[in-house]
Amino acid sequence: MPTTRGLSVALSDAGDVDATLRAVLADVLGIARDRVDRFDEATALFGALPEFDSMAVAGLLTELEERLGILIEDHEVDADMLETYGALLTFAKAKALR
Amino acid sequence: MKADGGLYYDRYSVNGRDEWLMRIGEAEAPPILFLPPLFEEMNRIRALLAGIMRGVAALGFGCWLPDLPGTGESERALEDCGWTDWRDAARDAGRCASRNSGKPVVVASVRGGALLEDVVEACGYWRFAPVDGASLARDLARSKLAGGGGSAGYPTPDALLTALAAAAPAEPERLRTLRLDSDPRDADLKLDGPALWRRSEPDTSSELCGALGSDIAEWAARCAAC
Repeated sequence: MPTTRGLSVALSDAGDVDATLRAVLADVLGIARDRVDRFDEATALFGALPEFDSMAVAGLLTELEERLGILIEDHEVDADMLETYGALLTFAKAKALR
Repeated sequence: MKADGGLYYDRYSVNGRDEWLMRIGEAEAPPILFLPPLFEEMNRIRALLAGIMRGVAALGFGCWLPDLPGTGESERALEDCGWTDWRDAARDAGRCASRNSGKPVVVASVRGGALLEDVVEACGYWRFAPVDGASLARDLARSKLAGGGGSAGYPTPDALLTALAAAAPAEPERLRTLRLDSDPRDADLKLDGPALWRRSEPDTSSELCGALGSDIAEWAARCAAC
């Protein structure tokens, strides 16, 4: 069995999770980083951003798994968690910082 | 077969069947075998990869890019291909580049290409944003749910998916790993730039292209001197 290199991550800082989430959103949605940097807790995402379709959700989940070193099960994903930036950040922090 | 702009199409043989091997640069130049990302990511990264190859060829290298069996212009159907076919293809494309140039190859892989590179007999290995097979398999399954079709449009055989899910990048000697600076995982160098493999429309970045190309050329020159 080959060994893996650098594929595990341990983020301990809530600020790191926030920065990673913003970077992933900019990458997946193809929107400017400075626009994503202006997102606040109440910024509406799924249903409010035309770029955020179901394929983008699939890409977002996988890229978050890779960069945060977490696994997201299908039953954990629902509309509430994707509704606002604040809800998504709360979810990501709960997974990454446990 | 010669096309314009220093672009050539060679053939390589995988277990007795011919596949295409795209080359930019001279056949006799020190060879770099590029292993592309897998599945949909291959299409999204194609423009970036071509740009990198042009840049590295201009620095005096021969850049070789295989069509894996069942992908690109391959005459085989993906449904009939297994994980071993892709591993064998990486090995045989590397041998072809080495034989035609008369020099040992350096492998440069992007994303899932890193899962194939350890079978290539090379004097050095370079990878950008390597990924576990398990993550690619989960992404294919999710895209299938979201898109309602086959695995993101690919009629991917179950056996290939099972083998993919168990694959992880190996850790060969003389390995250099690059990642985006927004990626918290370990790397020898981190670069600013977009994760183009996530874009729904293919896109490229000239800054990222230039930075990756010059890093590959420096690493290849260092490995060739070993």
